[in-house]
Amino acid sequence: MSSKLKRSIIAWILLFPVLFTVLFPFVVTLFTAVKPRNELTAIPPNFWPSTFHWTNFIEVFQSTNIAHALMNSLFISTAATLIAILVAAPCAYALTRFDFRGKRAYQFFLLVTQMLSPIVLVLGLFRLMVYAGVVDSLSFLAIIYAAFNVAFCVWMLQSYFETIPKDLEESAWIEGAGRIKTLVSIFLPLAIPAITIVAMFTFVNAWNEFIIAFSTLRDTESYTIQLGIIEMTGYYSIRWDYIMVSVIIASVPVAILFSWLQKHLVGGLTSGAVK
Amino acid sequence: MGSKSIKPLIFIAPSFILAVLIISYPIVDLIRLSLHDVGTFGQLNGFIGTLNYQDVFDDALFFEVLLRTFYWTFFVVVGTVLISIPIALILNEDFYGKGIARTIIMLPWAISLAMTAVIWKWMLNPDYGMLNHFLISIGLIDENIGWLADASTAFPMQILIGILVSIPFTISIFMGGLTSIPSDIYEAAHIDGSSYMQQLRTLTLPLLRPFINIAVVLNVIYVFNSFPIIWILTEGGPSNSTDILPTYLYKLAFQYGEIGLAAAVSIIMLSILLLFTFVYAYFGMKKTGGAS
Repeated sequence: MSSKLKRSIIAWILLFPVLFTVLFPFVVTLFTAVKPRNELTAIPPNFWPSTFHWTNFIEVFQSTNIAHALMNSLFISTAATLIAILVAAPCAYALTRFDFRGKRAYQFFLLVTQMLSPIVLVLGLFRLMVYAGVVDSLSFLAIIYAAFNVAFCVWMLQSYFETIPKDLEESAWIEGAGRIKTLVSIFLPLAIPAITIVAMFTFVNAWNEFIIAFSTLRDTESYTIQLGIIEMTGYYSIRWDYIMVSVIIASVPVAILFSWLQKHLVGGLTSGAVK
Repeated sequence: MGSKSIKPLIFIAPSFILAVLIISYPIVDLIRLSLHDVGTFGQLNGFIGTLNYQDVFDDALFFEVLLRTFYWTFFVVVGTVLISIPIALILNEDFYGKGIARTIIMLPWAISLAMTAVIWKWMLNPDYGMLNHFLISIGLIDENIGWLADASTAFPMQILIGILVSIPFTISIFMGGLTSIPSDIYEAAHIDGSSYMQQLRTLTLPLLRPFINIAVVLNVIYVFNSFPIIWILTEGGPSNSTDILPTYLYKLAFQYGEIGLAAAVSIIMLSILLLFTFVYAYFGMKKTGGAS
């Protein structure tokens, strides 16, 4: 037996308990989502559905409010992403391309804001929303989400921007192009890949956020998808099939996006650490 | 000062305004609240000094919850690190199907904590849940267990779920650390005739140490503040027996209407985290040389 084959068998045997623990709940989620209703409360429960009831994926839109919650989440996450990028990209640009007094102090300030978690601030945030008369405003929630992501975006963008050589911009200035023109025509095209990755990361974060939405949204009409699903677990007659269908609809698209992002994310984190 | 020094300020201003409005202002407001007698609807009834803090510290329940928060943080973080190190070491080896194994292990990171908690709430259902069904079918238990009905089973289960969702992030930090170790030092050790275990003890783990430090600090901050798993599974119940500071804070602020006490608990939580970070950063950096 080749040594790699032997190593592979040992690796899979050692990893099996973890792989099983991770996968088992997801398989149950899928099977619950497509079970015929009477099999959800069978005693003893059956693992395999007798038939795969795929129409649950359509029924859930007719009998619950998740379409509306999905649209709310889409709006909040998109708006939060746009705001975070529009705020973080110029900041990261200034921090890598300009030297100015208080630069170190400002970087430290951003780092500290990153440390403060939403749960600790949530009472203050809710009071701010009441004071400003924006309780249940999806736009304001998007601004809050953006604020909690800006420090991370700046940090990631900064480490990417530093890898873009300054010579290109400098030679453009020598040829007489203005600072803004250089920024738009030389720097921005090179920065787009990094900005895209950071934007998608912010989107996933906003999509998955729970505590701020849970504490501050009062009207069920403004519920995000996370809240909409949690609300379904509190109904008098709980429809676990619809809940699991909703969990899949809410999770699979962002999970695929996130799995793809992870590689870039870890790469960005470690390249930042090496410096 | 010419126009040169004004420009960066324009670029930075939006991020500064956003951070002050959304992050700094609420902290100032919370400190102010914590020092006032606050009505149920948030109106300030007068300055009372540290009375809110005294009320929090006089409450036996607070200490119970505080202690449980330490247990929760300790067991989740230690469990996560202990499980993640061997997994990262295995994933760092070259074997068939490595990509698939890695993708599966990273999967929980991609699902929101709230959705993970919903899935486990169904898994742990005493009558219809698949965990009891599975444990009975392999003969580990004889009858259904009401996992979430009592803290003695609910809390350990919540810790296990907490570990499960923290593993992917931790592994990715360790993997980053392992790839940064140059392979020639292993070749040298191999020539010296040291075994895999010796290499692990004298080379890999010491070199991994700064990454273990980062993983511990980030996980402690993250787990200490974690709300969805405990809330969705038990709401801190039955009768506060699984409450941790985040769920207790939520109840004080949004269910009991104890705004002044809630503000004091927020500031106490913030202080604990700051203290932890500074102590750990100080001692951690001292030991590793502090270069980075």
